[in-house]
Amino acid sequence: MGFLTVLKKMKQKEKEIRILMLGLDNAGKTTILKRFNGEPIDTISPTLGFNIKTLEHKGFKLNMWDVGGQKSLRSYWRNYFECTDGLIWVVDSADKRRLEDCKKELYVLLQEERLAGATLLIFANKQDLPGACTVEELKDILDLESIKTHHWKIVSCSAVTGENLLKGIDWIVEDIAARIFTLD
Amino acid sequence: MEFDGEQSQIDFMVKREVERQVNIQKKKDHKDLGAADNEKVDYFQKIFNEKYYEIFNLITNTKNLSKSDLPDYFNNISNDILTLQKYVAASSLFLRNYDIKKCQQSLNDLTIKCKLLEEELLPKKRFGFKNKTKPNKIDANSHTKIDVVDSKNDKIIDFKANFCGYHDKKSVKLCLRSDEIYKKDVTLENLEDCQITLLGTPSTLHLNHIKDCTILSGPVSTSIFIENCENSNLSIACQQLRLHSSKNVTIFLHVTSRAIMEDCTDIIFGPYNFHYQDKESDFAHAGLDLNINNWKSIDDFNWLNIDKPSPNWRLFEPPDD
Repeated sequence: MGFLTVLKKMKQKEKEIRILMLGLDNAGKTTILKRFNGEPIDTISPTLGFNIKTLEHKGFKLNMWDVGGQKSLRSYWRNYFECTDGLIWVVDSADKRRLEDCKKELYVLLQEERLAGATLLIFANKQDLPGACTVEELKDILDLESIKTHHWKIVSCSAVTGENLLKGIDWIVEDIAARIFTLD
Repeated sequence: MEFDGEQSQIDFMVKREVERQVNIQKKKDHKDLGAADNEKVDYFQKIFNEKYYEIFNLITNTKNLSKSDLPDYFNNISNDILTLQKYVAASSLFLRNYDIKKCQQSLNDLTIKCKLLEEELLPKKRFGFKNKTKPNKIDANSHTKIDVVDSKNDKIIDFKANFCGYHDKKSVKLCLRSDEIYKKDVTLENLEDCQITLLGTPSTLHLNHIKDCTILSGPVSTSIFIENCENSNLSIACQQLRLHSSKNVTIFLHVTSRAIMEDCTDIIFGPYNFHYQDKESDFAHAGLDLNINNWKSIDDFNWLNIDKPSPNWRLFEPPDD
């Protein structure tokens, strides 16, 4: 039995899921991660590089990778693609000016061969702000209906209030689990 | 004695021979086991391909069927696809990553093909059980189809609806009061030679294309995002500051976590110097600590050398008098 097989067997036994969280800078990726993990969110700095969190959720072990979204970091995103089971794309729903940018970056990712087969969750974050776009508007602007290569879902949320974070994570975990683990 | 010796030597040799045979058998078994592992992958590929083509043929055959049979027929196809998907999942233990990805790609192709065909041949079926899985899609589709013009209008209106702040102004002096910006996403865009004062606590603040301006702001409870700003003076307070593509800007800053800059030059940082009546209670409202100010902790994404300070920014030196 090869080393990789051993690793895969361990992964299956522990039900590990690797989730990559990406999005433009200031979208709220780190805030979502920390809020979901029950950590304080008022001391978060702009991410230099990346954060990793391992959480237990619904009997699964989630390895969450949160990579900084500054322009100069985006070219490094691809270093994190390998073995990704799920991609969470975080959108600042109130930042209408950069939605085109956001769309462009998302479609670049979806072309990526190493992300083929990964489940895609789009978090329409910052719904607590009065000017935020709704899910329906974002679907339209980001042209989500055209995505045929990935299982996807868009969920409106607010990392500040914690609204709907659980709903989104539950969906992505279920979708991935149905795909990579046998039903037992 | 000699005879005994010979006998024991023969015994020894027989024993040795048996051991050798056992070892050979063991090695052979081991080898077979390895081969079985390899065969597993081949066997899987064979079964997968057979099943794949079976489903593929089923899908291609749909056109020859009568309409009443179609719903059941499509049900069977999706069940087959699901079974095959489960088979891949069950086999993931010994498959290489590449194999899994390829299989999933093939399965995806089948699903999409099947769905497209189903939509084409059974348009009414959308209102059946399929409805449950993607009601939003149907809503959006029918919406855009029925009144494209209306929805386009909605979109344009919405971009300016809820807009809080100022845009496209030149040489004016403006002020927003606390009740106008409280917990809002404030945007200042395309301003030239203006003086803007924000009294109170916005939730976030966006500055874009600002030239020759002075901007004073009360504490922003989350982040300030600045892009394309030049020859300006800012006095701002926030939890985090993100400064992009700007030059020759003096920022008097209160930041409780950290500030970053990217693609900026000639930036000067000094401590927050905007004093107004409700400053202290505003800081409390925004959840910012007046005693924590990291205005000197600037991370420059274009300067990764930690031994030398970034040439793109420096600290403010009060003029001697």
